[in-house]
Amino acid sequence: MRPDDLKFQKSHEWCRVEGETATIGISDYAVSHLNDLVFLDLPAVGATVTIGESFGEIESVKAVSSLYSPVTGEVIESNEELGDNLEWLSEEPFGKAWMVKVKISAAGPDLMDVAAYDSHCKAEG
Amino acid sequence: MLLDEPGDAAQNMAVDGALLELATKPTLRIYGWQPHAVSLGYFQSIADFQDLPADTVMVRRSTGGGAIHHGDELTFSLALDAFRLPGDISQSYVVLHDAIIRALAHVGVRCRRASGGAQPAARPSHRWCFRTPVDGDLVTDRGKLLGSAQRRTNAGDGNRHARILHHGSLVLQRPNQTPFVAAVADQVPLTGELRRELHSALATELARVLGLIARPGERSRAENAMATKLRSEQFGTTAYLHRR
Repeated sequence: MRPDDLKFQKSHEWCRVEGETATIGISDYAVSHLNDLVFLDLPAVGATVTIGESFGEIESVKAVSSLYSPVTGEVIESNEELGDNLEWLSEEPFGKAWMVKVKISAAGPDLMDVAAYDSHCKAEG
Repeated sequence: MLLDEPGDAAQNMAVDGALLELATKPTLRIYGWQPHAVSLGYFQSIADFQDLPADTVMVRRSTGGGAIHHGDELTFSLALDAFRLPGDISQSYVVLHDAIIRALAHVGVRCRRASGGAQPAARPSHRWCFRTPVDGDLVTDRGKLLGSAQRRTNAGDGNRHARILHHGSLVLQRPNQTPFVAAVADQVPLTGELRRELHSALATELARVLGLIARPGERSRAENAMATKLRSEQFGTTAYLHRR
């Protein structure tokens, strides 16, 4: 079950907004389709991320995939332990495998709630 | 389908980057490397290649995996919308590799998908792509025959959508620098006719698994302009090569 307090993008990033802070990660669906994860690159604290633009990259099975930000703002925390513990993404994609926390200056439109995201995943197969 | 003359390393990667961003139709590009060059996987460290001869031409790919010495090989890129291949990355390799097995069989070369080999590790177990085959790689009894890698992104002009750039490096003659690889020349004489037949078979079989028919094409003006920009601002720069 995906937590119902999350919002999702079509590109499979999730976002939890608490006050001015957005916590961002990637969904269980994304993780299952990436297969074996080998490398993760996340932005440093202080970096700016932009709605719809890449904020990081992940490598799996010789494939590099970009990660897209659902918000614009400044990175206030980056999960530095995640890169050495990529199995967390399979174990707890919505928990300890969060990627960055961002102080929001603008939130993206068109984020899906969990029901809409479930349907989106079924449609993608 | 684009059949290009052998090009230099930065130009090759810039053209593929432009096709990933802008190609409006599924595009197979077949090309070579002149001069021969070493391409690094996107996440590899340049520090791991300091022992190569000083005159080695090097470029960093946008795709993953390990380094490849590009000598006499058939290199191809496939730029297309993501929905045309399985979303599961391993399955996408299976689909494309099976098509390549059929293309190679057409010219009398036998190979297979490796199974029970090394699994991807937390870091590449060897700096060279061809050194340690993993499950799904195309191999012969001699070694690994084809290097494959992908970049998955949201690209496109205006309405951005999920895209894939797939790179394939099929070894025709074994480079001295990477003597552990398999080569097409292990099994058949490398005549000009065979090379042309291989191009045609590759295009036909890759198009077939995508539900398409291969037709000759040309790059658009916009694609050429973006390739020029990507070459000067990214793939041809020392900063990009040394970014890790």
